[in-house]
Amino acid sequence: MTALDHIRNFSIIAHIDHGKSTLADRVLEVTGTVAARDMKEQLLDKMDLERERGITIKSQAVRIAYTARDGQLYQLNLIDTPGHVDFTYEVSRSLAACEGAVLLVDCTQGVEAQTVANAYLAIDNDLEIIPVLNKIDLPASNIPEAELELHELTGATHDEILIVSAKTGEGVEDVLEAVVARTPPPRGDPAAPARALIFDSEYDQYRGVIAYVRVVDGGFSRRQIVTMMGTGQEAEIEELGYFGPEMKPTERLETGEVGYIITGVKDVAQVRVGDTIIDKKRPATEGLPGYKVVQPMVFTGLFPTEGDKFEELRDALEKLKLNDAALMYDPESSNALGFGFRCGFLGLLHMDIVRERLEREYGLELLTTMPNVEYHAYLTNGSMVVVRNPAQMPDATYIDHVEEPFVAASILVPTEFVGTIMELCQGRRADFVDMKYLSPQRVEMHYRLPLGEIVLDFFDQLKTRTRGYASLDYEFHAYRKSDLVKLDILLAGESVDALSLIVPRERAHLRGKALVTKLRQKIPRQMFEVAVQAAIGSRVVARETVKAMRKDVIAKCYGGDISRKRKLLEKQKKGKKRMKQIGTIEVPQEAFLAVLELEPDDKDH
Amino acid sequence: MTDVLATLRHRLPAPAFAGPVHHVYVHVPFCRAKCDYCDFASAAVGDAPDGALLDGFVGGVAAEWERERAAHDVRRLHTLYLGGGTPSLLGPDRLERLLELFRPFLTSAAEVTVEANPEDVDEAFAAWAAAAPRARGRGSACGLRVSLGAQSFAPALREALGRRARADPAAAFGRLRRAGVANLSLDLIQGIPGQAAADLEADIAAVLGLRPAHISWYELSLAAGTPLAARSARSRDEDEGAAFYRRVVRALSRAGYDWYEVSNFALPGRKARHNLAYWRARPYLGLGPGAVSTVGARRWTNVAGTAAWLRATSAGARPPREVEDLGAATRARERLLLAARCGDPVPLPELTAILDLEAAGSLAAAGLVSLHSGTIRVTRKGRYVAGAVCVRLFRG
Repeated sequence: MTALDHIRNFSIIAHIDHGKSTLADRVLEVTGTVAARDMKEQLLDKMDLERERGITIKSQAVRIAYTARDGQLYQLNLIDTPGHVDFTYEVSRSLAACEGAVLLVDCTQGVEAQTVANAYLAIDNDLEIIPVLNKIDLPASNIPEAELELHELTGATHDEILIVSAKTGEGVEDVLEAVVARTPPPRGDPAAPARALIFDSEYDQYRGVIAYVRVVDGGFSRRQIVTMMGTGQEAEIEELGYFGPEMKPTERLETGEVGYIITGVKDVAQVRVGDTIIDKKRPATEGLPGYKVVQPMVFTGLFPTEGDKFEELRDALEKLKLNDAALMYDPESSNALGFGFRCGFLGLLHMDIVRERLEREYGLELLTTMPNVEYHAYLTNGSMVVVRNPAQMPDATYIDHVEEPFVAASILVPTEFVGTIMELCQGRRADFVDMKYLSPQRVEMHYRLPLGEIVLDFFDQLKTRTRGYASLDYEFHAYRKSDLVKLDILLAGESVDALSLIVPRERAHLRGKALVTKLRQKIPRQMFEVAVQAAIGSRVVARETVKAMRKDVIAKCYGGDISRKRKLLEKQKKGKKRMKQIGTIEVPQEAFLAVLELEPDDKDH
Repeated sequence: MTDVLATLRHRLPAPAFAGPVHHVYVHVPFCRAKCDYCDFASAAVGDAPDGALLDGFVGGVAAEWERERAAHDVRRLHTLYLGGGTPSLLGPDRLERLLELFRPFLTSAAEVTVEANPEDVDEAFAAWAAAAPRARGRGSACGLRVSLGAQSFAPALREALGRRARADPAAAFGRLRRAGVANLSLDLIQGIPGQAAADLEADIAAVLGLRPAHISWYELSLAAGTPLAARSARSRDEDEGAAFYRRVVRALSRAGYDWYEVSNFALPGRKARHNLAYWRARPYLGLGPGAVSTVGARRWTNVAGTAAWLRATSAGARPPREVEDLGAATRARERLLLAARCGDPVPLPELTAILDLEAAGSLAAAGLVSLHSGTIRVTRKGRYVAGAVCVRLFRG
């Protein structure tokens, strides 16, 4: 058992691609936590997807034994956090489990939006911030400029800012020394009723939910009966231990320590991130602060491309949900796409990850409809309808007004792009709040922006128009009234529910026009002419025609050609499976996301 | 009782490619030079081909014919087709020898077709083609059907195909007709890179001026890997291709030709019976390198290399072949796709396993197919898009 004053709990926080996972790898290596022969890149990222995309989705924790330069042996607990805005809540809980944070900044890029957001999260959680500049080995590094920005952000002085190359290992030991010297030891009461914070959880199909915990007060033992305060779930601890980095069972977890608790509970929704685990017999009365149930923000319809795969999709979603409390799904039936699910996600990355896992791990082929946010339609009779599928927006005559979610967005850009950002934001119904200079070259701009614009393509546009220099962070702000209408798309006179979308009224005409043009390009010629129309209510606002194909037959087919010809047609038939048959019309799957491909100018005001 | 069964059996459609063989194709795998759009099995042998090689080929066909005739239920032949390659390259003597192999087995009314290139059609060839008896014995008709590979009447367009432009197809056609070949077919190509609408009109006028009994008019298909495909970076606009095609169909139909298959047109009584056998899914034997046969539920393709084929046949062995077994559903799909090309009705019971009836209904509503008396038929309107129609009709 390590004395409380020899424990240091810290995390590394950074903007995406600033070298967080590389620094973690180096730390594990120099401390001998992982033998050189077991070392691999992004060691803490276990999922294939994380490794391929170079991102962290799940938090990880690892216990490190470190003999500092003062000759003492310390227990360091490094908590690796997700780096994406979709998982801000998980990050905030991981930070709540720490006393210190290494704020890592790529000195070729400088401070970026998530650097700022993460720094604020760390400050909110009273963490000691250890500012570190990374990638000093690169020729493009600009240490003085990055230092200035870090100083502006954290108040850190020149002497407090460390410089490292996580790639070469230069300066990494200094970081560990700073963690020992500057991070305060945990401030818990070993004698108080036991409390532990769940900062992440994972589902194992054999063992049930594995809760990642930080013991705040008291301690936990095997066979102890515990209660999850938020959900009221009671369970017996079957196993507990720490990560080294693989799971190492122990008899007890003490105050200040970080590790895992397995209770045999089979559902992550019962062991929620942010909840407090307490002793059933000697319950603490107060939960740890910050517990909340995260709500999905982005919704989309997921439909199996083959109609008979509905049950398989349901099973797969059920299994994913075991490990992902934030994933929401409800059965939905579409006249165009058949049976599927309306799914809710924390954000676009979360959506992407879930879809990719469904396709990859469960072998499902999916058709995704245009993502949308959750609208609140207030009706003239005083009631409110939650609309997660544009097709279900009530008829305009019953609606008093509609509200949509706005986010508080923070955008960091070099000063020369301020005008570009203002222009973009104005076109996207954003309200300017304020801006402040991080350094003479960089500015942080704050806006209130409809989340729907981010779902559409705001981030891509931001990157494109600033040549990649801008970075974005946002959090939910509030529901606000907007003048929105439902735009319906009709093919051959029939409304296709899966193509409906909610748009700002003053944009409805132009967007309808752009969308039918895009659909006309996306839908291949059919054997007969097909009208593509956009309508608001019963009023058609745009129309295009998909021409009938005029010729589709191979010129020659004699005795030697029959097999080839037949195989060609059979192959085409298979190819058609990737098409959705809507009435007599074959619509390629990409068409359902056509709105994402509209020219940016067609989306601006 | 047996009567009833017999009636029922009679009513049930014969499966595709079932029954005795009445049709033989011989593939002559030699050309003077390979055309730039060609992806057929053929070897360029130059202007002075090695006579021994050509003689060897005739011998090989004799051996293969003997063997195949014994192996299958081959009856009197209704059609014989000498294709290629360039059969006319063999010259009248060898062609005569080749024909002699089959004469004992041809019916007196048999259709015997020889493909010819304009450069091979001299007076001697024309005289032979006009006078060659089709079958042995009294009363047997004389004269062959000649299919002349004209491609285009514009030398520049023939050159664009890599086809040697010297020989004038009109002159060759004239020689054949003067010699007395009555059953003449012209092969033409449209969609040649550089071909303008006016060029197409000129070809149409030239063809109608000659008024052959039969016309095959193909849209050039740029087979991947051919020199022409490599040269033609830009593929033709779909609408332009369709416009040329529709123009040909309209012009020839107006001139009295029956558009009886996607790319084939005939004056009354002059349809190519051999090719109709393919399109009606009748069993056929193919002899020669690369030739394809289909009998019953089996299709096989001879080895494409002339040398390997010759080695086997001259040793009295069967040439190496690739075999494809055709399941009932496969044959039904072929039946439909072939019938679609000609607008032949197919009895629905024959297609039960593969037809999407709902799709058939919506295509009928659009006038692309017609459902009548328990049959399905692709209409003339549907024939332009027969590929898409079949894809839609196939059950997924």
